[in-house]
Amino acid sequence: MTLTPQEQALLQLVVSGIATGAIFASLALALVLIYNAMGLVNFAQGEMAMFATFIAFALISRGVNYWIAVPATVVLAFAGGILIQRVVIRPVERAPILALVIITLGLATLINGFAGVLFGYVPRSVDSPFSVGGVGAGGVYVTYRDLGVMAVSGVVLLLMYLLLQRTTIGLTMRAAAHHPEASRLLGVRVSWMLALGWGLASAVGAVSGIMVAPVLLLEPNMMQSIIIYAFAAAVLGGIESPLGAVVGGLIVGVTVNLATLIPLVGGDLQLAVALAIIVAVLIIRPNGLFGHAVGRRV
Amino acid sequence: MAAILELDGVTAGYGPTTVLRGVSLSVPEGGVVSLLGANGAGKTTTLRAITGGVRWNGDIKFDGNSLRRMSTESIVRHGIAHVPEGRGICTELTVDENLRLGCHLRRDSAELRKDYDRVFEYFPVLKERRRLSASTLSGGEQQMLALARALLMKPRLMLLDEPSLGLAPRVVRAIFEIIRTINQESKVAVLLVEQNARIALDLSKHAYVLEVGRVAVEGESSQLQGNESVRRSYLGY
Repeated sequence: MTLTPQEQALLQLVVSGIATGAIFASLALALVLIYNAMGLVNFAQGEMAMFATFIAFALISRGVNYWIAVPATVVLAFAGGILIQRVVIRPVERAPILALVIITLGLATLINGFAGVLFGYVPRSVDSPFSVGGVGAGGVYVTYRDLGVMAVSGVVLLLMYLLLQRTTIGLTMRAAAHHPEASRLLGVRVSWMLALGWGLASAVGAVSGIMVAPVLLLEPNMMQSIIIYAFAAAVLGGIESPLGAVVGGLIVGVTVNLATLIPLVGGDLQLAVALAIIVAVLIIRPNGLFGHAVGRRV
Repeated sequence: MAAILELDGVTAGYGPTTVLRGVSLSVPEGGVVSLLGANGAGKTTTLRAITGGVRWNGDIKFDGNSLRRMSTESIVRHGIAHVPEGRGICTELTVDENLRLGCHLRRDSAELRKDYDRVFEYFPVLKERRRLSASTLSGGEQQMLALARALLMKPRLMLLDEPSLGLAPRVVRAIFEIIRTINQESKVAVLLVEQNARIALDLSKHAYVLEVGRVAVEGESSQLQGNESVRRSYLGY
């Protein structure tokens, strides 16, 4: 079967869209983890990922092997997420949700400024560990970098799935998120489960930052557009659904890529497409693709 | 018989509202005690105080140790299973996952397997529906799941908050029969909160009647059942 050049171009955009979508999916999953744990959208998620990315590439530039630096950073990000929950969030756990949202916004600004002071604002290009080049089939070309991003994201998402669905700790996390009072009565340490949620979110987010850095340039504002795509992905999938975050991420990745074909949108208005997705989902299907309708019992 | 649970002059409330005004009661090891009374008398609050869900003064002792300043998680880890009002079923999870939550702290896998077998003997319907979402269960089945989960915690004391609520009389009788069996077979003590005084008194040996946060009447269940003025004024039948 041979494809026409138009079909090849279309398929090309879909394939590279899946790679960027995998990055959005990881960050969206991070948002979903914290939303599930405490009904809060963590606006600092992107900045936390950015900071972790700086740490990873600081290690690499000091000669640490990429495949050691990245897991080490993920572990550090996990610890950092727990630390943030214990120090910043826990004291105000019972505050109204708006106060918590504003705290995460403040946290975002704080981390952003801190990264600027520490690492500087000059954007720098970082190398991908995957060799240049790629493989082609039927006129569609996939770079090794995109394949690598898909593979790493896929492994991370699979590990998260296994942790949440197949382990006892994952089970207690899910129970604590949905039924904190009932879980306490079963001996689940709910507050630590929330901290664990923050740790895991921070770790997954860090992976997305590290994966996206070679595509963009590493600088303190690197994640500010990515987080919008991740919001779009999470809202599209249903903000409570981990699976939805992944599917939403892939759809958003492919959609914003295909949108470049629309003459007016081009490469400049991709972010607007993501925002349009958010608005459209909120109007047409507020619970997203995989979300359950939220009923309130009175 | 030694008391496994003792409340001594417990006062508690929510914000400015006082609910318990000095409640004293005790549950003997392996015994069944009913806590009766009208709506708002403080029955549920008493149970909530025991597992640290509400701040209280006075003293609460479990197995001789005070539960003062202990978190809910630590209290239940000492061997108290509390089936709360509304049963506390995690409806997002499957039946099996709910059961696993009951025993997530246990490391005695051989014993646990026996307990699972026993639980499925009591409640065969749960075995059939293991893989289904708990939200698909009927009210009676959810109550069974809550009891089964509590049993898998291997408690020394079970606090049951209105197990009969919203269930058909036939289902209520079946569930109370199983509570009796559980008490007899595993020697677990039970503090039973009920609106349905008749069926609770049939099951328990001793009973307390709460009225606006105080113990108004206490005694052997059989005596309370036989005393017509107590039945009329406090138990409503």
